[in-house]
Amino acid sequence: MKNGLFILLLATSLFANEAVLPSELSAWKSLSYVGTAKNAQELTDATLTLNSASLVGLLPTPKIQYVARPTNEGGTVSYGGIFRITIKEKGLYRVVLANASWIEMVKDGKSAQSVAHAQGAKNSGIRKMVDYNLDEGTYTLQLSAGADTTSAVLVTKLP
Amino acid sequence: MIKNIFTIGICLLAAQPALQAQSSQDTPEQKAQIELGRRLFYDADLSINGTMSCATCHEQRKAFADGNQAHPGALDDPGKRNVPGLANIGAFKNLTWAHNRLSGLAEQSLMPMRGTEPVEMGMNGHEAEIGKRLGQNECYQKLFLRAFPNKKGSIDINTVSRALESFQKTFVSNQSLYDQMTEKGKPLPTQKAQRGKKLFFGAAKCNTCHRAPLFSDDDFHQVQPKNPKNEDRMRDNGLSDVTGNPKDKNLFRTPSLRNAALTAPYWHDGSAKTLADAIRKHDVNVHQTLNHQEIDELIAFIDALSDTTFVNNPKYAKPAKECPY
Repeated sequence: MKNGLFILLLATSLFANEAVLPSELSAWKSLSYVGTAKNAQELTDATLTLNSASLVGLLPTPKIQYVARPTNEGGTVSYGGIFRITIKEKGLYRVVLANASWIEMVKDGKSAQSVAHAQGAKNSGIRKMVDYNLDEGTYTLQLSAGADTTSAVLVTKLP
Repeated sequence: MIKNIFTIGICLLAAQPALQAQSSQDTPEQKAQIELGRRLFYDADLSINGTMSCATCHEQRKAFADGNQAHPGALDDPGKRNVPGLANIGAFKNLTWAHNRLSGLAEQSLMPMRGTEPVEMGMNGHEAEIGKRLGQNECYQKLFLRAFPNKKGSIDINTVSRALESFQKTFVSNQSLYDQMTEKGKPLPTQKAQRGKKLFFGAAKCNTCHRAPLFSDDDFHQVQPKNPKNEDRMRDNGLSDVTGNPKDKNLFRTPSLRNAALTAPYWHDGSAKTLADAIRKHDVNVHQTLNHQEIDELIAFIDALSDTTFVNNPKYAKPAKECPY
């Protein structure tokens, strides 16, 4: 109940003067709550669904054991979290985020190299977007060096 | 022609020490400061909310630039200027895009940490927080004690900035293809790069400001026609913002072209997406017009200034998480 109300409030503030989003980002406006893992063992309870936007709670950095050391780890007063997502087919994917956390897509202990990054349109609630060429498989999405205790996140396949 | 070659040779010989790496003659204290500075360079606890370290904007793989037009600060304030690369930064007298009154890299490092125009790392008024955060870390306690024994290992913004200076002074880039061929007395491997080099030091007069071996004269110039579009970005008057002298308006420090191929976008405001754009931005009323082929040749030469040993040097990379002591 509490989470539902929070999502409603967040969505109201994010999309008050909503921007028109391209079709590949249409899922951004519908948030569902997903828990955050602080280590690899907890990842089963922190699974994101492709093309579905999620509200995630983030944890103080010192409590997190990342599966691969992030390039930007964040200081002791920052926030982050780790999540699991399954990519069913090879292609170009975009990670969309409501805050400015550092994003890494990790598979087999290695971070995928980003191929493009951008900011979201005004009033879209999107702070940053990072694109990756990903193979089929299970990835760990790592968020690090964030300033906030929550964020909306979406992983979507680009046409 | 012979005179020109001789002059260039003399310049190279005279200025080469500027690009020498720090020697093993560093005192144990200096070595400890470099080691500490390296760890601090990658530590986001130097920013107000723990989101930004020096390395957030200065990425080694991009020759310590970051690939953005300008980088927002820790509190999301828009960036004012394009992040400059840091190759050979210890050899420069003038630092940042437009400042001639900084005593060195220690003072310069205070600008991102506690500057307010714009707010970058956001520590202005919160300087004591740095000592508090780092002081809780046993490893830092040891590292500061080794680096600053005369200050009894004091952890404060002044010792932090001095250590950052020591580390950045080790950023030496002198192993580009251009350097290797020059040392061997051989021409660059492609005709295009050779023609670009000839243009660079000859008709195009790039070397007037982008002077070898730093490929910067460490001086301030206005090379763009007045009235550039500022859009939503904050007003930037260049050097006159520091000196208050109207004559210094729109003057910016010549950026080094070493590793320039790795540091796009270009210009003090990041408004040139490519090297070709940056070359074309030079004021055609002052500088000569170059055709497409000549621009391609210049870019081929600038490519030869890329130093892969610099961007892959493990001495500059993020240190292991484990404490060395």
